[in-house]
Formats: sequence, C-alpha cells, structure tokens
Amino acid sequence: MARLNLVLLLAVLASALYLVRTQYESRRLYVELEKAAAESRKIESDNERLQVEKRAQATPLKVEKLAKERLQMRTVTPAITQYVTYKDEPAAAASAPEGAKP
Amino acid sequence: MSRSVLYSSSPLLASKTPVWRSKFIVAGVALAFAGLAGRAAYIQIFGNEFFQRQGEVRFARTLELPANRGRILDRNGLILASSVPAPSIWAIPEDVEASKAQLAELARLLEMPLADLNKKLGEEDKTFVWIKRQVDEPVAQKIHALGIKGIYQRKEYKRQYPEGETVAHVVGFTNVEDRGQEGIELTFNKDLAGKAGSRRVIKDRLGRVVEDVGEQVHPVEGKDIQLSIDSKVQFFAYQKLRDAVIARKAKAGSVVVLDSTTGEVLALANYPSYVPDKRKNLTGEQLRNRALTDTFEPGSTMKPITVAMALEAGRIKPQTIIETGPGRYNIGGFTISDTHNYGTLTVEGVIQKSSNVGALKIAQKMSPQEMWETYMALGYGQKPQIQFPGAVTGRVRPWKTWRPVEQATMAYGYGLSASLFQMAHSYTAFAHDGQIIPATMLKSSEPAVGVQVFSAENAHAVRRMLQMAAAPGGTGQLAQTVGYSVGGKSGTAHKQVGKGYATNKYRAWFTGMAPIEAPRIIVGVMIDEPSDGNYFGGVAAAPVFSEVVQQTLRMMGVQPDMSVKPQITTQAVEESF
Repeated sequence: MARLNLVLLLAVLASALYLVRTQYESRRLYVELEKAAAESRKIESDNERLQVEKRAQATPLKVEKLAKERLQMRTVTPAITQYVTYKDEPAAAASAPEGAKP
Repeated sequence: MSRSVLYSSSPLLASKTPVWRSKFIVAGVALAFAGLAGRAAYIQIFGNEFFQRQGEVRFARTLELPANRGRILDRNGLILASSVPAPSIWAIPEDVEASKAQLAELARLLEMPLADLNKKLGEEDKTFVWIKRQVDEPVAQKIHALGIKGIYQRKEYKRQYPEGETVAHVVGFTNVEDRGQEGIELTFNKDLAGKAGSRRVIKDRLGRVVEDVGEQVHPVEGKDIQLSIDSKVQFFAYQKLRDAVIARKAKAGSVVVLDSTTGEVLALANYPSYVPDKRKNLTGEQLRNRALTDTFEPGSTMKPITVAMALEAGRIKPQTIIETGPGRYNIGGFTISDTHNYGTLTVEGVIQKSSNVGALKIAQKMSPQEMWETYMALGYGQKPQIQFPGAVTGRVRPWKTWRPVEQATMAYGYGLSASLFQMAHSYTAFAHDGQIIPATMLKSSEPAVGVQVFSAENAHAVRRMLQMAAAPGGTGQLAQTVGYSVGGKSGTAHKQVGKGYATNKYRAWFTGMAPIEAPRIIVGVMIDEPSDGNYFGGVAAAPVFSEVVQQTLRMMGVQPDMSVKPQITTQAVEESF
C-alpha cells in the first residue's frame, strides 16, 4: 500500500512538473508567435510605404521635372517638327486632305 | 542545601494531564483548518468574481487593433493616397538623459533647431511632450537607434499622396488625427476609415503578450476607394493648364474632363494647387477647387444651349436665317453688340461666329419659362449630384422675375452663373445624343443612362455647329487637334466686379467634345483673368482644350477619326514650295 502511494505521489509530481513545463513552453511559443505577427505587420506596412514611395518616384509630375531640369528636355510642339521632302515628289501634298472639314 | 528536584521524581510528572487539554488543542487546530477551508470556499466560490476581476486588472490588458485607412486609387489602380506608418516622437522631460552630441544628432534627424528641442525638453514640470508628430519611418528608426532614455515613439499613420499637386483638389487630405478634411478624403471618410478592433490579452512581467483571453474583435479595415480619375489624363490636364495659366499671366484656371459615355470624371484639375503632404502656409487661393466651388457667368459657352432649346421647341432649324446686322440691338435701354457686323447668318453661323445679337434673337423666340425649364433640366441652378464636398449650385433666377433684357442676356451667358463642372456636365446632353447623364467620381464601366433633354437629331445638329465653331472660320480654331475631330464653343466673359463689369478683366472659357461624330470625352477649360492681352476664350482656353483632348484620346486608345496628314500637308506645302 505504502509503495503504491509512493508511486502515485511520484507520478503526480512528475505530471505537475510536466504541466509547468508545458505551460511555460506554450507561453514562450505564444510570445514568439506574437513577435512574428508583429514582424509581419511591420513588413506589410513597409511594403505599403515602399509602394507609395515607388509610385511617388514615377509620377508624371516627377518625371517631367527630372526631364526638364536634369536632362534639359523640352515639351514637343508641332512648331519644332522638321519636315523631310523628296526632291521631285512632295509626298505629303500627294494625298487628298480627307477629313479636313471646313 | 539543594532545592533542586530530580526530573525523574518531579511531582509535576506525577500529576495526570487532564484529557480536556489535548482535546482543546485538537479543537483549536480543527478550528484553524475550518477557518482556512471557509476562506478557501469564500475565495473560490462566493467571492470568485471579485478576485478574478482583481487578478485580471493586474495582468490582463485590452489592446486596440487599429484599422488601416483605405487607399484611394485611380481608375487603373495607381495609388493616389495611402497610409504609411509615421511614428510620433514624445518625451518625458525629466527622464531624458542625453549627451550634448546625442541631442544635437536628434535635432538634426528631426530637422528642428537645437534650441527648440532644448526648450521642449526644458519643461520639467510636464510629464508628456510631443517632440514631433509623424516623422518618416526611416528617421524614426534612426532615433530609436540613438537609444536616448526618456524619448519614446508612438505608432501613428500618415497619409501620403504620391501624385502631389496634380490631384490635390480631388483627393483632398486628412488631418493629424487621420480624419478626412477635404475632397474625397472627406466625402468617403466613413468608408475609408474602417473600424478599430480590440483583443484582451495577458501580459507577463516584461510586458510580453503570453495569452489571449476572451473574444477578439477583428478590426474592419478601411475600404479602398477607386476613383474614375485617370492619373495620366489628370496629369496632362494639370500640366497644360499650369503652362497656360503661367503663359497667359492669368490668376487661375480649371480643367474638367468627363467621359461622355459613362459620365465618369476623368480629370479635374485646378491651378494654383498645393502639395497635400506639405500644407504649411496654404492660401485659400490654392485650396479652392475652382471647377466645383466657383461660379461665373459662362458667356458665349451658353449659346449652344440657347440654340438647342430653340431647335427642340421647333422654333428654328439649323439653316434658319437670323439677321444680326448691324451688329447692335437695343433692348430695354441697353445696347447689345457683336464685335463685328456679321450681317445675315444662319443659326449655324450664329454659333460659329459667336454672335450675341443672333443668340438673343433666337432666345426671343422662346418664353422665359421654356428657357428656365431647360436650364434646370441641364443642371443649372442646382447642386451637382456628385460625391464631392462644397459643390455649389450656381444661380438661375426664377423665370417669373426675368425682364426681357435678362432673357436676352442669358441667351449668351450673362445674368446666370455656373461652375465649370456644371458647364461641362451640361454638354453631356449634346455628346450623349440628347441625354444629360449623371456624373460620378467613382469608377464605373457601364454606360450611363440619362434623362432625355434634347432629341438625338437636335443634339447631332448642335454637335455639327460646335464642330464648325472649332473649325477654320469659327471662334475656336485653336481647339483643333491632330487626328481627332473636335467641336466646342469658346466663351469670353467680362468679370463682374462690384456692381458692374470690369472692362479689362475677363474669363476665358472653352467647352467642347471629341471625336465629334461619336463623342468619347467632354473637356471644359476656364482661365481666370488672362492678362497678357490674349484674353479671348478661343485664344487662351482653346489651346488647352486641344492639347488635353489629344493626349486623353490617345491615352484612351481612341482611333483618330481624321487623317493626320492634312495638317502636316498644309505646313509641308508652305515650307517646301
């Protein structure tokens, strides 16, 4: 009887210690999960931020500014078109001005 | 002499212990245990709730789960506004321990003078000071790396507007609390904001979350709003407008581009504008969304509407002869005149030459009530049905109070007022085969269904007149594009100053559509006070129209309906011969 009690006592102790360990482990893992979730949120918001930045670098307004200031480009107008004509056949004049309405 | 007593012979041992004493001890111990059991029962059963609550107060925390504000996208899914993390830096002044070098570095990172920083940290009696709100994330990381004690960060979000000033008036902006203040941000604030959620957690001594308790309320993320705006069209509209306002030395200007099949607003630009991220020293001039909030007398751009209503009422035909000579007309003590004496014109000619006398003679064939009803049907004098704050109604007086001279002036756009948006919107009646269609700021793919105001034939007839007005011999020749047929009406309105009209202040208008046979877009342009001498609508506003139309149609993939050659031919001929 006494021996059985002793065995049971040891079993209870072992199970209790195991429970403590499991509890600890579960909390530790939970903390890690939390950390990972926070990391994922951070990466997500970084992604969002970088997308916005990428877009901001590629907006027509920005491109126009760079083209004008850094590359010294100008807006095209028909006024700066250079017309090329053949000597004997002014090609452009050949076709009827279709669609030019009064 | 010894008084000592041997233990073995101690008389005390001899006396028998009374039984009650041991019973007393046992009873005492039993009582103590009963007390413990009672207490345990109290804690576990009767007072359980109280103790549970007290326990929770000490280690359970409610965390707010913030909802992200939705993005604002253009019709192609490009970002117009999005929230990015922007931590705010705060401090507990008396806890701050930092070396001079650290403080200098902090001030440099925050781009604020060291003196300001010291002043903020000098307020020892305060326990909380904002040092700077909403700094950029990379900067915040560097500040964190400095590791100054007593300086903390609070996670906040801020709106970023990558397109900057081009769409500023449409998108609007939010305040520091992330609430919409202007434009779409204001109109759709509820949808964009979403709803914050919450969760109950248990935190350990180090402040780490170790367990979830109870139910978690998930946050409802803010919805993304997709606008009808095309950011490329918007940019071109803004760019051309800006260049024109600067070139004409004008005060301001607006452009509206509408899709004439779906009623979508493709672009709505104003100049001067502002950068929504940097809102310091803003003036009302910059903030105003003129296209929607400013009303003016539209001048000659009203004439096609006058003609359309007379056509619809059957009083005239496109070829009806109208005598406009001698270019002047007296009515009620006022003289209404044309710039030239055009003599005898057809109705088409009245529009083409923009004759005031012709327009008023056509209006005289109508009753004030008929005119008023058409104006109302076209949306004048009413708040535009558009999802936008601050849109104004304009002014059309009730027809019963019209005097004959007013009826006459309204025929050519004086005596009533409208915003550029209303003006452009009313032209949908011409573009959409006589139907006025509802305009929308949100993307839609279905063709809009509108209210029939004019018959399809009359709308077509007016389109032809508009085409003539924008062709050689008309007032809006500069509206022509390479490749696309256009039609539109210019307008030059004297500005009202005080009670009368200023002689040297004008507003230049141009409203039209393209391609003229089957219009896809309607473009309205307004330039306020061009002061380089070119103040006519056909000179100041029409070129902007032309450029915007050309770029927009090309971008939409609309096939050119005119041969591109003729215009080049004429020039080539000039140069080569």
